[in-house]
Amino acid sequence: MAWRSRFSYIGRRHLSIFANPSPSNWTKVVSDAEKIVGYPTSFMSLLSDELSNVAMHVKKLVGTKHPLLNTASNSDLICDSMVIYPSQRNLAEITELIHTAFLVHRGIVNLKEWMNSDGPLKNMQFGNKMAVLSGDFLLANACTGLAQLNDSKVVELISSAIGDVMQGIYHESSTSAEEGSLTVASWEDQTFLPHGALLAKSCQAAMKLARHDTEAQNWAFQYGKHLALGHKLNSDLQLFVKSGSEPAVFSLDSAPVVFHRQIVGPERWRHQLKQVQNMARQIDYTKLWGLIKMERGVSQGLDLCSYHSNKALEAMKCFPPSEARSALENMAYALTKF
Amino acid sequence: MALFQQQHITWEDLPVPYRVVTGHVPLLVEELWRCRGADAGGAALERLCCWTGVAGSAEELSLTRLQQEEEQTVPPLRRRRRNRCLYTTPPVCCSICSDAKLKDPFSLAQKDLQNLYEEIKKLLVSKAELKVLCDYYFDGKGKAFRPMIVILMARACNVHSNKEGVLLPAQRSIAMISEMIHTASLVHDDVIDDSDTRRGKNTINKVWGERKAILAGDFILSAASMALARIGNNTVVSVLSQVIEDLVRGEFMQLGSKENENERFKHYLEKTFKKTASLIANSCKAVSILVNSDPEVHEIAYQYGRNVGIAFQLVDDILDFTSCANLLGKPSAADLKLGLATGPVLFACQQFPELHAMIMRRFSSDGDVDRAWQYVLKSDGVEQTNYLAQHYCQEAIRQISRLRPSTERDALIQLTELVLRRDK
Repeated sequence: MAWRSRFSYIGRRHLSIFANPSPSNWTKVVSDAEKIVGYPTSFMSLLSDELSNVAMHVKKLVGTKHPLLNTASNSDLICDSMVIYPSQRNLAEITELIHTAFLVHRGIVNLKEWMNSDGPLKNMQFGNKMAVLSGDFLLANACTGLAQLNDSKVVELISSAIGDVMQGIYHESSTSAEEGSLTVASWEDQTFLPHGALLAKSCQAAMKLARHDTEAQNWAFQYGKHLALGHKLNSDLQLFVKSGSEPAVFSLDSAPVVFHRQIVGPERWRHQLKQVQNMARQIDYTKLWGLIKMERGVSQGLDLCSYHSNKALEAMKCFPPSEARSALENMAYALTKF
Repeated sequence: MALFQQQHITWEDLPVPYRVVTGHVPLLVEELWRCRGADAGGAALERLCCWTGVAGSAEELSLTRLQQEEEQTVPPLRRRRRNRCLYTTPPVCCSICSDAKLKDPFSLAQKDLQNLYEEIKKLLVSKAELKVLCDYYFDGKGKAFRPMIVILMARACNVHSNKEGVLLPAQRSIAMISEMIHTASLVHDDVIDDSDTRRGKNTINKVWGERKAILAGDFILSAASMALARIGNNTVVSVLSQVIEDLVRGEFMQLGSKENENERFKHYLEKTFKKTASLIANSCKAVSILVNSDPEVHEIAYQYGRNVGIAFQLVDDILDFTSCANLLGKPSAADLKLGLATGPVLFACQQFPELHAMIMRRFSSDGDVDRAWQYVLKSDGVEQTNYLAQHYCQEAIRQISRLRPSTERDALIQLTELVLRRDK
C-alpha cells in the first residue's frame, strides 16, 4: 500500500530535479535560468539504440498499472550554459542520468504486495524487468560518462552521491509512517540523502572540474544542499499552504506531517490517525489534512523553508556577481513563494 | 604429443560454430585428435578433418584404423600431412605437463584472499537492514573465482615486470571491486529472472522484496565505484566502467533473439562475453595496467581473462543441462525456462531442426522445455560445447604462456583445467 500512495504522489512529478506541478513563480525562475544557460539539450543524446529498444518494450505496458509508465511519459531536458566547460556540461547530463535512474528504480514493485486490482501479475513482472534494465542502463552510462571526465576525485564524489541517494531511498521505504519516529533534525539528515546529496555533490564536483579551490567547492556544496532541502520543503508544503487545494492523497513522510507528528506527540497522533481511518483502515486524507492545518506543523515547515532559502543565498554571496549567480539567487528566493 | 604443421584452411571450409571461433582451428584439430577414442570425439574429428581436407574421406579416418596404426611409429595421418603445415603446439605446454609440483590455484591465492570478504564488507558503509542485505552474499561461501584470477594475474604480471613477490594494494582493490561488481549484477539478475535461490540461500528479492534488492545492488555498485576511484588511476577507472556497461548490454542482448542460425551463435558468444567474460578480462587488464605500461602485457592479461571467462560460461551452460539441482545451488534447465538458448541448444539445433521454432518462441509453449532438454541430451550439443570451451582454454593458455614463468602463471594455466572439469 505504501509504495502505491507514495508513487502516485511522485508520479505527478516531472523527471527534472526542479519541476513542480503548479507555482508560476518557480517555473518562471527556472525557465529564466534555462535562458541564461542556453538552449536545452537532452541527455538522450548520450544514449543509443538500446533506449529505443526499451521504449518499444515499455509501450507494452500501456494499459497496465506499472508505475514505470508514469516516469516514462514525462521527459525532461537539461540545460547548457554560455561559459561552461564541456566536462561540466557532461557532469550536468550525468547528474540527470543518475537522478532518472533512481526515479526508475524507485518504481519497482514488490511482487508480494501485488493484488488483483493491480492487473495481471505478468505485467508487473515485465514492468519490473524493464525498470531494472532501464535504470541499470542509465547508471552504466553515468559510470562510463564519469570515467571520461578523467578526474578520479570527481568520480569518487559522484559515486558517493549515488550511494547516498540509494541509502536515502532505501530508508524511505523502510520507515513506517505510523511509527512516527522522525524528529525535525533526523528529518533533515534523512531527507538530505535522497533529495540533497546528488545536487550538493554535483555542484561541488562542477567546481572541482574547473579547478576552483576547496572553499568555492564547499560554497557550491552548501548552495546545492540548502536549495535541495528547501525545494523539498516547498514541494511538501504546497498542498498545505495553497488555498483551495484539498489533496486526494499525500505522503505521511512529508515535512508538515512529520513536524505535526512531533508537535502533537505519538499518542495524539495515533488517536488522530484512528479518527480519520475507516473500517478498512483506509485514511481519509482530506480529514487528516484539515487536522494538520490546525496545528503548527505547517508554520514550522515554512520557517525551515525560509531558513534553507537564506542559507542558499548566503552561499551564493561568495561568488562574484553574474547573470548565473542572479539566476541561482532567484531560485533560492522562489523557495519561499507559494 | 603429435606435432602438426601449418595448413592453409579457408574460413569457408568450416561449419559455423567453428568459424566464429577466431584463429586457431588447427589447435582444435589437435585437441580433437587427443580426444579420439571417445565416440563423439571421433565423430567430430572425422567431420573436421573432412571439412579441412586433411583426410581424403571419412572412411580413411575410421577409428579402428587409427587405433591400429597408432601402434606403428609414425601414424599414416602424420605421413600424409608431412607436406602440410599446422600450428605447432607451444613447447611451454609440455614443460607444464611434466612439472609434477603444480600448486593448486586456490591455495596459491589463499593468503591474499583470506580477508577479502571482510574488507569488502567494510567498504559497504551502511546501517541496519541495508547492511544486512549488502553483506548477504559476502559471507565467504561464494567461489571467489574472479578475485582469485585477478590476484594470480596480478602476481604473474608483477613477476613479468620485475616486481616479484609483490601484490600492490591497488591490485588487491581490483580483486575486491570485481567481486562487488559481480555480486551487484547477480542481485539484479535475480530480480530480472525472478529467481528463488542462489548459492543455497533464498535470494534477496524473495526475502526482502524486489525493490530493496535493486536498491541494495545499486548501493554495492556505488561502493565499488568509489573504491575504484580511490585507486586514482583514470585508465583503470575507464577499463572497469566499461564492464558495468557491458553487463547491462549483455542483459539487453538476452531480450532479443536472432532469426538466422549463423547470427544466433555469434550473438550468443557476444552476449557471453559481455555478461561474463568482460568483467574477468577487464579486471585482469586493470591489474596489468597498474604494474606495467607495455600494451602487449595488457593485451595478454585481457585475452587470458576473456578466453577463460567465455570458457567458464560455456561450462556453466553445459552444467545447466547435466547437473542436478542440489549441487549447483540453483535449479537446472534454468536457462531453458527463461527462454534462453545456450551453446548446447544451439549445437543441438543443427541436428534437430525442430529446435529452431522452439528457440524463436523462447520455449514458451507447453512441453517445450522438456522436449528441448531431451533433444539436447540426445544430440552431441553438450560435447560440442565442451570442445568449444576447451578451445577457449587453449587460447587462454597460449596467451598467458607469453608471460615470464612463475608459479602464478602456471597456476593460471592449471586454472583452465579446473574450469573445464568443474561440476558446480
